[in-house]
Formats: sequence, structure tokens, C-alpha cells
Amino acid sequence: MADLRTEEFTVNMGPHHPSTHGVCRLVLTLNGEKIIKIEPVIGYLHRALEKICENRTYAQCIPIMDRFEYVTAMSCNYLFSNAAEKLAGIEVPERAEYLRVIMLELNRIASHLIFYGVTAMDIGALTPFLYGLRERELIIDLFEMTCGQRLTYNYIRVGGVSRDIPAEFEPKCREAIKIIREKLIDYEGLLNENPIWLVRNKGIGVLPPELGIAYGVSGPVLRASGVKYDIRKDDPYSIYDRFDFQIPTRENGDCYDRYLLRLDEIKQSLNIVEQALDALPEGDIKAKVSPNFKPPAGEVYSRVENSRGELGVYIQSDGGKKPLRVKMRGGSYNQLQVLPHIGTNCLVADLVAIFASLDVILPEVDR
Amino acid sequence: MTFDELKEYLAANFADDLTLLDTGRHEPVYEVKAEKLVTVCRRLREDETLKFDFFCNLGGVDTGERMEAVYSLASYSKKIRVDLKVILPHEKAEIDSVQEVWPAANWYERELWELYGVHVKNHGNLTRFLLPDDWDQGFPMRKDWDAPDFIRMPEL
Repeated sequence: MADLRTEEFTVNMGPHHPSTHGVCRLVLTLNGEKIIKIEPVIGYLHRALEKICENRTYAQCIPIMDRFEYVTAMSCNYLFSNAAEKLAGIEVPERAEYLRVIMLELNRIASHLIFYGVTAMDIGALTPFLYGLRERELIIDLFEMTCGQRLTYNYIRVGGVSRDIPAEFEPKCREAIKIIREKLIDYEGLLNENPIWLVRNKGIGVLPPELGIAYGVSGPVLRASGVKYDIRKDDPYSIYDRFDFQIPTRENGDCYDRYLLRLDEIKQSLNIVEQALDALPEGDIKAKVSPNFKPPAGEVYSRVENSRGELGVYIQSDGGKKPLRVKMRGGSYNQLQVLPHIGTNCLVADLVAIFASLDVILPEVDR
Repeated sequence: MTFDELKEYLAANFADDLTLLDTGRHEPVYEVKAEKLVTVCRRLREDETLKFDFFCNLGGVDTGERMEAVYSLASYSKKIRVDLKVILPHEKAEIDSVQEVWPAANWYERELWELYGVHVKNHGNLTRFLLPDDWDQGFPMRKDWDAPDFIRMPEL
């Protein structure tokens, strides 16, 4: 055996690999089945959204933002509207703020339910995928009855929201909350103590908090490493300071903790939606804003807590009706950047679990 | 720390390096000279009161006459945020890499180079990133760049 020749070899994972959640290519250098080096190659979904926004009025930019991060399109709608409102100094009616919070939190739940499904499916369990998408359907139905769309909503507009919720929204929403609460028990029963799930996730892909901070990681991935940082509490936007909710954190920072943390977040979001429904005031849903409004020259960086970390937008205005510059920033960008550091020295099969637990989506990275 | 307190603190401790820009009522934006960028960034990160350890964003801006690089910073522990702006010439713009302060800057700087043509010194990996590998049509985010098949939307 002494003259057995070994060598490192390079493999392409992607761009069409089912577990890369979009079109991402990972160039892996392998020694046997052990990964020595990971090099993410991105840009396959680059649609030049930032350039397109520069040629549109502020109101016309909002449908473009839907395509930026389509799993939580409400957050993107809100983000851009919020930034434009800050620039132009527009006051949003009370009822619109409540409707926005309801939609943002419902969308966060829908996103985490997708996470629950696809993560389990990447690891080889099909049932959670069906469960997760079944409950997500309840939320998507609510969005559809409100704004007619199931994925790209264009609902939150500059100055408010596009239309009021229909009369049947509230009972259906309360029913959905009740069902999701019950089903969460099933979800946990299915995976939390499942021996295969534990072996595949516990202690895999540990992200030390210092590394996460150095690479600008935020959101559930960082909170699973024990850093209690949530923009809803630390830099409150909209009316989040009026609701009573906790920021769950976990200590180990491995794939298992990232999974548990997202289930915890669903519970908190359900509480917020319930509180917002209870307190929903009557009134206008949109401030009067001209479709061609011209914010004064200036600049703003606005950010929200998305299900994938900090979602930010930098807008510079030169006083015209179109933005001079729109720079979008998504949490996935930094999470993909940190992947080579936490994914090396593990097996290829573990990389699938790590990638899934970071919950990266590629349209947000490539823009 | 409120924005007013932050402004006071920065005026007292960083008066030589940071110039407050007048951008109306929003979060403060400070101008930094390109040659001082890395030292100022390191001080902002290591200052015990500020602790700007969260590199949120870096965006290039082409105003037509000049290039700007806007760094958005935040602190994980202190609940504060600030923007730094470096003003650069339109042609042959050069800026220092801040990767040694925040490793997260790596990809953002690659993007700045690729889309705006701002050369990042000491970066180490300025290779094609969002654009195709064989891209040779200049810097697409610049204002004077239009794609061959680009159709302007009619003015409303």
C-alpha cells in the first residue's frame, strides 16, 4: 500500500445542483470525500436590478424589488418604500403600518416554513417538505386574497399599502395562526429528536460568533451562534416597538441550532401577527403621494430584519423623480461569503446540510 | 446612543478625519479622505464607545462628475449606525481595501471594481464576479454606459 498514489481533485457542485437553492456554483477541492477548499462562483442570476432601478421612478422600482428576494417579497417592498419615505419625508397612516407589520411577519413565517421543508428535503427527508408547503399555502392564500399575487406582491407602496384587507382576511388569518401553532408540534415531533436528523445536523458547520461578526453575518444564522442582534429591537423600524416579542438565541451555532432557532422565530412571529390583528385601527391605508414624486436631494441607508438577515437598501437622490443610485444588500451575500470558512474540512454530504441551514437564496446574492 | 450623541462624540474624537456632510434629516454621513480610510476605519472599529464591527454595505455611486464609495457601518452591541463616504475622481479612481478591518468587505470591493471600475488596492482577488468571465464591455454601472439592447422607458 505504500506506493498508493493519492491526489486532490476538483469538482463542480452546481450551478444546477438541487441543493444550491438557485443557481450557485461551488468549486470544491476534495481530498477523498473531505473538502479542502470551497470557492463560490456567483453571478448566474445577475439581472442588473440596480441599473434597472436607476431608469425608473420610485413607484416603478417596487415591483423590481419583488424580484430581489422573492421568498420574502414583502420585506423588499417595505424596505424600498421605507427608504423612499425617509428621503421624501412622507408620513404613513397608522392602519397601513399595522397592515405592513402583519404582512411582513406572515411572510417571515412563510419563508421559515420553506426553510423547514427544503432543508429536510436536501438531507433526504421528503415529508417535512410537504408539511412546510402545506402550511405555507394558508399564508399565501391570505396574500392572494389581499393583493392578488402569490409570490411577487407589489403590496407595500410608498406612503402605505396598495389596498385594504378584505373582510374575510381576519378570521382566515386567525385560523391559519391556530393551525400553524398546532402543526409546529408535529414539525418538532418529526425532526427534533430524529436520530438521522441529529447525526446530520448536530455539531456540523459550526459558525463561531467572532467569525460571523467579521463577515457581517446577521439574522437567524448569527443568532444561532449566540449573538442577540435583531434590527426589529436594536434599530426599530415601523411600529415594532409596540409589540411584545422575544428574540430567541441559541448557543452552539451549528446546523441543528439554526434549524431550532427558525422554529422559535415562527412562534414569535405568530404572536406579533396576533397582537397586530387585535390592535388594528381603522383609517386610511395610504398617504397621498404623487406617482412621480421627487424627493429632495439626499441619501439614505434603510434596513429591515428579514428572514435571511439584514436586508438593506442605499438610495441616493439628486432631486429628480428617478433615484440616482440604488444599492441593495441581502443577508445571503454575507452568508455565502462565510461558507468557505465553515464548510472546509467537512464531507461533501455535510456541505449540503450547511448550505441548506444558511438558507441562502441566490437572486438576493446576484441581484 | 442617539444620533446627536454620536455626532457630538465623533466631533470630539474624530474631528481631523471625519467631515459631516449635509444630507438633511437622515442618519449622519461623514466624508473621509481616501488616504486616511483604513486608519479611520480601524479606529472606528476598535473604539470602545463606538465599536463599529458590523460592515453592512458598500455601494459605489457615479454622479456623472465623480465617483463615491459609501460605507454603511453599524455596531452589533451599541445600537448605532453611520455612513462614511469617500469621494474619488471619475477616471482612474483608486481606493484602499478595508478587508483587514472587516473581512466582509471582500465581495463588496470586488463588486465596486467590477461594476464601477474603481481599483481597490491590496485586494488580492479582483476577478470577474457578477459579470461573465469574458466580459469586455467596460463598467456597466457607470452613468455613461448603456447596453446595446437597452430601451429607455418613455418619460411619464
